Amino acid sequence: MRRKLVIVGAGMAAAYVLQELAQLEHDLDVTVIGDETEACYNRVLLSNVLAGENSEADLAMLEPAMLEPAMPETDSPETDSPGTVQFVTGTRVSAIDTDARTARCADGSEHPFDALVFATGAGVARPGVDCSGIIGVEVFRTLRDARELRALPARGRRALVVGAGLLGLEAAHGLNELGFDTRVLHRNPVIMNRQLDTEGGAQLQRDLEARGIHFDLGVQIAGVAADDNGRLCGVTLDNGERLPADLLLFATGITPNIELAAQAGIATARGIRVDERLRTSAPGVYALGECSQFGEHCFGLVAPIREQAAVLAAQLAGVQHPPFCLQDYPTQLKISGVEIYRAGELDDAAEQLVLRGNGVYRRLVLRDNRLVGAVLVGDKRGGTWYSELISGGGEIGALRAGLIFGRDVSEALAAA
Amino acid sequence: MPNCNTTCPYCGVGCGVTAQLAGGQVSGVLGDGDHPANAGRLCVKGTALAETLGDEGRLLHPVLAGHRVSWQAAIAALGSKLQEARERHGPDAIAFYLSGQLLTEDYYVANKLMKGFLGSGNVDTNSRLCMSSAVAAHKRAFGEDVVPCTYADVEDCDLLVMVGSNAAWTHPVVYQRIEAAKQANPGKRIVVIDPRRTASCDLADLHLQLLPGTDAFLFAGLLRHLANNGALDRAFIDAHTSGLDAALDAAGNLDAAGVAQVTGLDAQEVATFYDWFTATERTVSMFSQGVKQSATGTDKCNAVINCHLATGRIGRPGMGPFSITGQPNAMGGREVGGLSNQLAAHMDYDPADVDRVARFWGATDMAAGPGLKAVDLFQAAADGHIKFLWIMATNPAVSLPDSALVRRALARCEFVVVSDCTAQTDTAAFADLLLPAAPWGEKDGTVTNSERVISRQRQLVPALGEARPDWLIVTQVARALGLGEHFDYRGPEAIFREHAALSAFENNGSRAFDIGALAQLDDAQYAALAPVRWPLPASGPAIEPFCDGRFFTADGRARIVAVQPQAPAPGEGMTINTGRFRDQWHTMTRTGRVPRLSQHRDFFSISLNPSDAAQLGLAEGDLVEVGNAQGVVRGLATLDPGIARGQSFVPIHWSGQFTAAGGASNLIPAITDPYSGQPQSKFAHASIAPCAVASWGLLFSREPLVMELAYWSRIAVSGGYLTLLADTAAPATVYAQLARELGADCERAGYEDSVGGDWREVGRRGDTLHYALFLNRSRDALPERGWMTGLGSETPAAGEWHQLLAGFSAERESAGKLVCSCWEVGETQIARAIEAGADSVETLGAALRCGTQCGSCIPELRQLLDQAREDCAA
Repeated sequence: MRRKLVIVGAGMAAAYVLQELAQLEHDLDVTVIGDETEACYNRVLLSNVLAGENSEADLAMLEPAMLEPAMPETDSPETDSPGTVQFVTGTRVSAIDTDARTARCADGSEHPFDALVFATGAGVARPGVDCSGIIGVEVFRTLRDARELRALPARGRRALVVGAGLLGLEAAHGLNELGFDTRVLHRNPVIMNRQLDTEGGAQLQRDLEARGIHFDLGVQIAGVAADDNGRLCGVTLDNGERLPADLLLFATGITPNIELAAQAGIATARGIRVDERLRTSAPGVYALGECSQFGEHCFGLVAPIREQAAVLAAQLAGVQHPPFCLQDYPTQLKISGVEIYRAGELDDAAEQLVLRGNGVYRRLVLRDNRLVGAVLVGDKRGGTWYSELISGGGEIGALRAGLIFGRDVSEALAAA
Repeated sequence: MPNCNTTCPYCGVGCGVTAQLAGGQVSGVLGDGDHPANAGRLCVKGTALAETLGDEGRLLHPVLAGHRVSWQAAIAALGSKLQEARERHGPDAIAFYLSGQLLTEDYYVANKLMKGFLGSGNVDTNSRLCMSSAVAAHKRAFGEDVVPCTYADVEDCDLLVMVGSNAAWTHPVVYQRIEAAKQANPGKRIVVIDPRRTASCDLADLHLQLLPGTDAFLFAGLLRHLANNGALDRAFIDAHTSGLDAALDAAGNLDAAGVAQVTGLDAQEVATFYDWFTATERTVSMFSQGVKQSATGTDKCNAVINCHLATGRIGRPGMGPFSITGQPNAMGGREVGGLSNQLAAHMDYDPADVDRVARFWGATDMAAGPGLKAVDLFQAAADGHIKFLWIMATNPAVSLPDSALVRRALARCEFVVVSDCTAQTDTAAFADLLLPAAPWGEKDGTVTNSERVISRQRQLVPALGEARPDWLIVTQVARALGLGEHFDYRGPEAIFREHAALSAFENNGSRAFDIGALAQLDDAQYAALAPVRWPLPASGPAIEPFCDGRFFTADGRARIVAVQPQAPAPGEGMTINTGRFRDQWHTMTRTGRVPRLSQHRDFFSISLNPSDAAQLGLAEGDLVEVGNAQGVVRGLATLDPGIARGQSFVPIHWSGQFTAAGGASNLIPAITDPYSGQPQSKFAHASIAPCAVASWGLLFSREPLVMELAYWSRIAVSGGYLTLLADTAAPATVYAQLARELGADCERAGYEDSVGGDWREVGRRGDTLHYALFLNRSRDALPERGWMTGLGSETPAAGEWHQLLAGFSAERESAGKLVCSCWEVGETQIARAIEAGADSVETLGAALRCGTQCGSCIPELRQLLDQAREDCAA
């Protein structure tokens, strides 16, 4: 007897689960339900599409055949044949009954399940200022958002991006490339302050400024002004300064989409609570990705979500797999062509190796002759090796002299 | 363009060179096959001559009180200051300090101006520092300063005694001739007498590694030994000498055992030397700075000469006492009379000589008597007695003993003029007036080498900037002083004719120095003059000096001088010896510009015996400070088993332009020989101690930098300079200090490991690396020297500049320490060739070309081969 798996949400987390399942033997027929028209595209590359550096076709994460309309439903008697995957797009799951084990969609359809996975992702955090109904205040989260932003007249117009985290900077880069006169506002004096240190942030900022993006740091928006037609005309900052704007984009963080789970009586906090096997409080119901919360941890980057997908797929298929555990996931990014890498802890009180100049900032943090942290901006060569050294915890010793130049140089110098 | 024959401007061998000219430039320099000194051979310094030309570091305009002025203003200022000092303080308050680097014609007019028209004998020269004890000894023994040997004698002799000479490095071409002669005549014996085991010991059948300063005992003992063993030439002694008995009395009963005791030698070694000398008629004793630069240098030279006079081994082929001079025209200076105790043309201050020269010159104000010798001259300046001093072509702030005294003298003297081709020297820093002198290749004249051969130095290229030949500057000053009619020369040829005429003037065989035959040369003959050996009297045969047993004393007899050998005064600490390196010249103002000449020996180092080093806790390359009451020097320790225990060797080449505290003269007290006034530059006592170093650094820079650090030493490399530095401050402090001086207008990239004490920075201007600095607590952690040396041509891709901070490139393999400078062959390459089967100097030469040009690295090649054999056997 085949089991039915429903995945709620057709984003990257869902795609990873499908990829993992495809590697395993299982008895699952999968239904993926997503509210966007397009399913399982690579959201990370959206800013590149915005910037015109990638086409929409470049976003595909699954084999095209997988996404084609479902075959007529036939129960396959053999449990060892590959399971089917069915996509239901453009509709939203409106309610889940964990007892009856059905998921009901906004379009009225019902999907029974043996197992259900929440992969509902996250939405843009709501701004702290009232801007409802003002034309020109946008979000940038979906392919559709990207298409709409690309359709806007850009030349000679002023875009304000609020938030200089990864999403804000990528959006700003995209808008800047589209031709907007782009300015980024950020509450912290350092951009990407969650990933980078002060100097790394400054280096990235210089790079982005060189590409024409402006920054106002250490400020917040106090108010949004519209003209008589309800069209955005500018913002007021908490320091009293006024900035004219034709487009305002909030990128002030993400909020996990947990309402559906909460309504179903599943335990939630900031996200949907899961254990080390990605199980929620309801039996046979799982969650992963940006909507999930493991301990105190929510997720925004790809690497741990891929790991979650592997654990979850094994769990669903009944295959042995080590449980999910939090690791130090290095941050590896590329913003506007600038490589960024961050791993471990950036302890200012420990020993520092710092390389700066030529558009590059690299800092390694050592404690007790061991590498504990790394931040690389502009040249992330050696990042993977640093992660290994950080998690391996071995002594650095003679590797120190060339450590910051990566493995080849470091090992050659140590051998000399 | 045709090639042009001229003469090398370095050592006293005086090799002829052929300059290859192309497009108005000297494109290369080869040995002149027709020159009697070298017959085509050339050492590495000479080979690199073309690389010393060009405007890098050149003084190109007159500079008065720090401001560029016209020649007219410069000459006027010089004239009025000279006049003022002379009128206000008398002729003894003015002085010229000349140089063995000057051409004979330059020397002649400067000497004539001072001694004939300004009334002062204060003309001395840096030749005082290198061979004046030989001059004094020659005059005592022969009655005139005559060198009785030629290089052919060195080849022809059956026993060559090298006394205080490391000819392999200091006179490489003579050494090559010796080497070839020994190969052709395996019975030829060579004895090296030197407190150091030097490269010249490579050929030696016997090396007498005596205690410093004890040479006179060895030769007084030899005289005694010759007498005791019936080896004296009684007929020659009776007919041509006087003074033997007194000399033997002075030698006392020194036998081999007694000599061994005082010289620290093995009695058997001494006996062997004595036996060989006794038995070998054709013996040449070649002596050099090792005996001359001594408080008893004149006596030492006479002790050597005595043994030749007492055996009659002089004035015949293949024998004689042979003083080898250091500088290219020390001999020409002596002929002109450029020493303060000489007047002119081998005439001194005898009233008849003064009268003769005054008449010849038409002098208006003859010097009444000898002037001050170099050390006394600078002492007088320090005491405030010299008010006007004109220094030409020499760097006394580095080369004279007791550098602190010399600096005081230069600071105190009211008006110091420095004529030089180099803009920045330690001496130029004190100049009130700097005059741009034309260097080698840009001027015309003659020089005389160690074997009395007069050769032409010819102009090859136009003078750069406003540089002028020294003779022209001097005669223009004479004109400014109203003496134009006495200094009216159209060119150096006219000066040379006058010089030749003076040598012959009322001579009639009374003076050996007679080149009257050259007094009638016309301009074309002078231009084409081939090398000629004096004497060259206008009439009568040109005979080799002393071949007829006639000497130039009043009675025609040579003097065997009574020499009371004296050991140097004992003192505290180590005994300091000084000397030259193979590939450098004097204070490096020219050779220091040539990258390949800085590879044989790179950074300023001080050599000592490995056992002494171990006792001091010193390893190779550690920073040491050597100090005494005179001053201190700081250098890297070089462990050299060729240095005897208790001794240390400091090279003479380093000035404040090339290292922080390197002048060997800082350690040398101003002690001089009583007869010659030559300073004891090869002997001092000093303590030696390790320096605590908190930072080491290597800096590649496009411009030469002078830094305020405990130690730095700079060499030229392709496209820039490489400086090794060390300091007592931590790398962070040194970095902060250097960062201020480096990198204005540069795009910088840096690396810092402050806990690890590791600081690095590169600066570029556009696509060009401007500097690269590496600082570390540990010297071993600095990049490999070979990698740093190649940075001049390093042009990383735009995104890769910061990778230079790794200080490392996997691609480039180092050639190792340079051994052969001519073909730029390093130790690593040689080691590999030996591994591949090369087992002789010849096979190495065939494989790598090392040792096949100047040959001065052959001793080292042999050493490497021997080492490899030992390693193999072990």
